[in-house]
Amino acid sequence: MIAVDALTVQYGELRAVDQVSFSVFEQEIFGIVGPNGAGKTSTVECIEGLRRAHSGKVSVSGLDPWKDRKKLYEVMGVQLQDTAYQDQVRVGEICALFSSLYRSPVPYGELLEIMQLSGKEKAFVSSLSGGQRQKLAIVLALIPNPRIAFLDELTTGLDPRARHQMWDLLLQLRERGLTIVLVSHYMDEVEAVCDRVAIMDRGRMPAVGSVSEVIGRFALHTEISFRSSLERTGGLEALPGVVSVGRKRNRITVQGRGDETVLAVLEHLRDRGIDYAALAVKPPDLEAVFLNLVGYSPSGESPRADEKEVR
Amino acid sequence: MRAALLNLTLLEMKLFMRNYINMFFLLIFPMLMLLLFGGIFGNEPEAMFGGYGTVDISVPAYAGLIISVTGLMSLPLTLCQYREKKILKRFQATPLSPIYVVVSQISVHLIMTVAGMLLLFIVAKVVFDLQFVGRVLPVTAVFLFSTLSIFSLGFLVAAVAPNMRAATAIAYLIYFPMLFLTGATIPIELMPELMQKIAAVLPVTHVVKAMKAVWLGETAASVYPSLLILAGFMLVCLTLSLKFFRWE
Repeated sequence: MIAVDALTVQYGELRAVDQVSFSVFEQEIFGIVGPNGAGKTSTVECIEGLRRAHSGKVSVSGLDPWKDRKKLYEVMGVQLQDTAYQDQVRVGEICALFSSLYRSPVPYGELLEIMQLSGKEKAFVSSLSGGQRQKLAIVLALIPNPRIAFLDELTTGLDPRARHQMWDLLLQLRERGLTIVLVSHYMDEVEAVCDRVAIMDRGRMPAVGSVSEVIGRFALHTEISFRSSLERTGGLEALPGVVSVGRKRNRITVQGRGDETVLAVLEHLRDRGIDYAALAVKPPDLEAVFLNLVGYSPSGESPRADEKEVR
Repeated sequence: MRAALLNLTLLEMKLFMRNYINMFFLLIFPMLMLLLFGGIFGNEPEAMFGGYGTVDISVPAYAGLIISVTGLMSLPLTLCQYREKKILKRFQATPLSPIYVVVSQISVHLIMTVAGMLLLFIVAKVVFDLQFVGRVLPVTAVFLFSTLSIFSLGFLVAAVAPNMRAATAIAYLIYFPMLFLTGATIPIELMPELMQKIAAVLPVTHVVKAMKAVWLGETAASVYPSLLILAGFMLVCLTLSLKFFRWE
């Protein structure tokens, strides 16, 4: 569907995208994640035909997105990162306008219904909630009846319920035959919906593959943590598979290799009669891969999500 | 694509009319000025104005006022806002070229400028029995040409302003002198020599001059110098705009 070969984007001296290659297959949800300024949007804009590549080749269903732009926009739906709309425009009006831009648009009434926006035609876009506005952006992206959709930071700023609704919608759209490229900096989002994922960092793409492949490739540690009054952690350090033991206040965190460590730690706690509470086992996830790649190590002294709340 | 452009222009027209600040300065404000000054001075023939009344010579001058509102405030601010809100960029990702967004804005502003002028004309006719001794065709032509030349300055503002705040500041900075120093509201003849010199470099001054001349049925020769200045001015503005304009 999409083939990117040695794509490079340059802004003056700055190389925003550096020799990136990957492909996106038909009817999959492909995630591109990375920190701010990693080159995600620049990469996607080259595929969308909004930006010219410095060098490298991009092809979207056989078309060159820069040269065949206008042809491509008939089969491509785009949602840009934080686009706004004209002041005082109504939902129905902007939908009608976008419908008139394409040769064979989907009746937008249907799309509004799927996105739970029916009955909002007369509403001013400015009166919609953040989630509704993002849904409208998807409606506009789907009006051309595209085969590929690009969604850039779709759920940024949405509440958790709206985010989960969005994810359900994406999965439904894939079932209807759509190929989706999703740019995000939320790892949970990518794990929830993406078939394959690419991680970008400083213009490069160090990992591409299915979520479990990407996680597996990095052989990261499982993390076991619990609250305890235990003073000396020497016993834990000696256990098989344990890599490191850290302590933050009264929470002890053990990093280890796989499930054998988990069992060893549990047995150790039981056999020695060590008190423990709020035990948590966290297998390596995309977030860990990501933090590892961008050079941040979530070791014993860095806070875990559950501890942040206590502070 | 023609249908798309038409739809876009009609929608933008609606949006323009929903913006009550635009509508006030375009339709109500010039009318209030007319009623105020017409109310104070009446429209009796004055020797000082060559036998015309205050309203007779004010209406063509107010063309400068109306064109300034659409061309120097609304047009640049709308274009700049559309760039800042990435609306232009969003249209780039459709089969419709964003150039058409600009074209539709110019059309809407041109139509609304004409509407503003017509309304002023009607009010002046009904309330003050305005005399109009010019010919319709040349008056319309000069009015449209003047409008486009002022629009080119508005376009330049949109091209060079890095963001909305800057555009707003620049627009106000240009708009107010155009209101008061060009003869659009206060006759230039009443100003001291220094102010008249300043006025001579402001394009709206030449709009007012040309409109007054053609409105009062003066010879073509008295209109051409102003039109020539406006044409040169438009050329400069458009060249600079094309050089600086960015879509995002």
